[in-house]
Amino acid sequence: MMVASTSPPETPKASSPAGGEPGPKRESWRDRLARWDLKGTPYLLILPFFAVFLGFGLFPLLYTGWVSLHDWHVVLGDQGFVGLANFARLLGDPNFWNALFNTLSIFLISTVPQLLAALGLAALLDRRLRGRTFWRAGVLLPNVVSVVAVALVFAQLFGRDYGVVNHVLGWVGIDPINWRSGTWASHLAISVMVMWRWTGYNALIYLAAMQSVPRELYEQAEIDGASRWRTFWAITVPSIRPTIIFTVLVSTIYGLQLFAEPQLFDPKGTAGVGGNSREFQTVTMYLYEEGVRLGDAGYGSAIAWALFLIVLVFAVFNYRLSRRIASKD
Amino acid sequence: MGGIRPGRVVATALTAAAATLLAGCGGGRAAGDENTIVVATFGDFGYDALQADFAEAFPDLTLETRVSEFDAHHQQLQTQLAGGRGAADIVAIEEGWIPQYRESHELFVELGALGASDIKDRWAEWKWEQGVADGGEFVLGLGTDAGPLAMCYRTDLFEAAGLPTDRDEVSALWPTWEDFAAVADEFSAATPDVAFADSAENVYGSMINQAPEGYFAAADDSFIADENPVISEAFALAGGLAEAGQTAQVKPFTQEWNVGLAQGGFATMACPAWMLAQIESAAGEQNAGVWDIASVPGGGGNWGGSILTIPAQGDDTETAYRVAEWLTAPEQQKTLFLEKGILPSQPEVYRDPEVLGDVNEYFNDAPVGEIFAASADSLAPNYRGTRDFSVRSRFQEALGRVEEGVQSADEALADALEQAERDLG
Repeated sequence: MMVASTSPPETPKASSPAGGEPGPKRESWRDRLARWDLKGTPYLLILPFFAVFLGFGLFPLLYTGWVSLHDWHVVLGDQGFVGLANFARLLGDPNFWNALFNTLSIFLISTVPQLLAALGLAALLDRRLRGRTFWRAGVLLPNVVSVVAVALVFAQLFGRDYGVVNHVLGWVGIDPINWRSGTWASHLAISVMVMWRWTGYNALIYLAAMQSVPRELYEQAEIDGASRWRTFWAITVPSIRPTIIFTVLVSTIYGLQLFAEPQLFDPKGTAGVGGNSREFQTVTMYLYEEGVRLGDAGYGSAIAWALFLIVLVFAVFNYRLSRRIASKD
Repeated sequence: MGGIRPGRVVATALTAAAATLLAGCGGGRAAGDENTIVVATFGDFGYDALQADFAEAFPDLTLETRVSEFDAHHQQLQTQLAGGRGAADIVAIEEGWIPQYRESHELFVELGALGASDIKDRWAEWKWEQGVADGGEFVLGLGTDAGPLAMCYRTDLFEAAGLPTDRDEVSALWPTWEDFAAVADEFSAATPDVAFADSAENVYGSMINQAPEGYFAAADDSFIADENPVISEAFALAGGLAEAGQTAQVKPFTQEWNVGLAQGGFATMACPAWMLAQIESAAGEQNAGVWDIASVPGGGGNWGGSILTIPAQGDDTETAYRVAEWLTAPEQQKTLFLEKGILPSQPEVYRDPEVLGDVNEYFNDAPVGEIFAASADSLAPNYRGTRDFSVRSRFQEALGRVEEGVQSADEALADALEQAERDLG
């Protein structure tokens, strides 16, 4: 409905009812309405988004900032203004730094291989394949499955005593690994979950971009005798640069807010602690633990704002980095 | 002059307005029917079994139960209290969560003035005390069930380890927790591949629940975990089991716990009355008659049980009170036990001959009425501090680290104390 009605305001561009018309004839209400429609309707059409954004994006953001400057209990409410005390506490809080380290670690372990794998997968899907649609739809399937279901299934796969992964590792003589204890083991297990869910999704986005790369470039490269590998890096990757930047940004934002997978991976329930030594507690989980579970809304809000700033910094950093990597030409 | 019709402008504006409105109203909750009393609980409180009696007692009311998962239930209540709307007419709060609501008791209806003070004698004293704030001035809620402890054990694993299987003989094996640890050693020596207890956390928790004070002093709510010998002794004993690899490292109600129960991964587990139904459903039909119930080491303790509160935001808090009073009245409490095995916290009811005579088929015909009544009678009140909830999990995590072999029991306890003090900051 929205999409259908966006086009008309652009078409009558040439009409320009008032100004150039000969004679001082008074504008009819009809003309005036038409002019208003031309100028006003686009704003009306985008208004819902901004109204929703104001209500559910900007307002919570500012309100969270306000709460973070207070000693604020979820149930008891405002206990007084404390200035930046919550942020000062954050800087000296080892649990926060631990959570930040975990978040970055899981983010790196899951995102880098994931995007590379997605690129490769897209390159394969871009070729002439028998049953193309089947394969293309197939890679998106993991993303359609609810994250809760994914986490529950993987939590069992990575079970210590009865998990399939340990069972399979046992065949090659590797002792059972406690996937929920130990930083790297748990980060790896959670990253596998994230990769499983998002690789296909990113692959499809890459594929869409690859389809618009002019085929003549490839033909030319073939004539020049370039290898597949070299064609891929010299033509495909630079050609889909904006898409790569987009996926890196989206993955950064998603990755730094990682919550559901590690939360559900914790066999100790939904406490948000992420393992007995906080091995896989992410920043969002820490926010949940402090702000929701322990009811310290002021501190939770400070964590939320810190996370917001961190995401911002990383998004800018990754934008620059991916721009450099993707522009080898 | 390109097809611009005034109609389209109006339609567009309406679409935009409707989209905005729809987005804005997403969270709204339809107002409840005024003849319906909603009771919010976690898990099965068995109230369905009371529907017929309820219809008779309150012909013009309907009783609706809203059941959520344990954590979600309590967190929802937090949000609803903070937001000032959305809470059910009657809300059950588990004993571990009650202390923190004492701080915000003004968000609930004071039930003493509505008549609760007159029926105080129904409950065991410790249970009544759990539901009051302001030094007893403010009655926050009416007690429902209780969780006096017993020790569930698997007769087949005991037999394989050469231990007695008769429940009286088993009870006689462990009058104290030290004896329990000794039996664990004996068990592990005979059958090294099977864990003796489900988790260090449960052994530890049971011991703490038997003490008059745990992490906080009853007198002034001050943090005493660092000097309370109960904490260090319980931690050392449970940590010792963990260090020796005698625990299965499974937390109750998790998937791994279910698997452990079904496959016989551990031989004993501290079990309050309400746990029996959970064990039965997790261990399944194939394990019927395998489990039995002995007395818990160290005398009676309590784990779990709730009180019914009435959030002040409700429309008709007086009717809600009448329903809550009815739900916790002796006749209904007795029905709940006989129908659903939910143990009342009212001595008169759990000493009722019918209750005392009740046996549980699944647990090898164990006389559950007798076992749990005896445990409830020997139960000493256990003080829970206001911040008990946030501190307790630090010690549970610490025991988890001992089970994982990351830390020794001593290191883990020192760590837990440090973290707890920092949390209290």
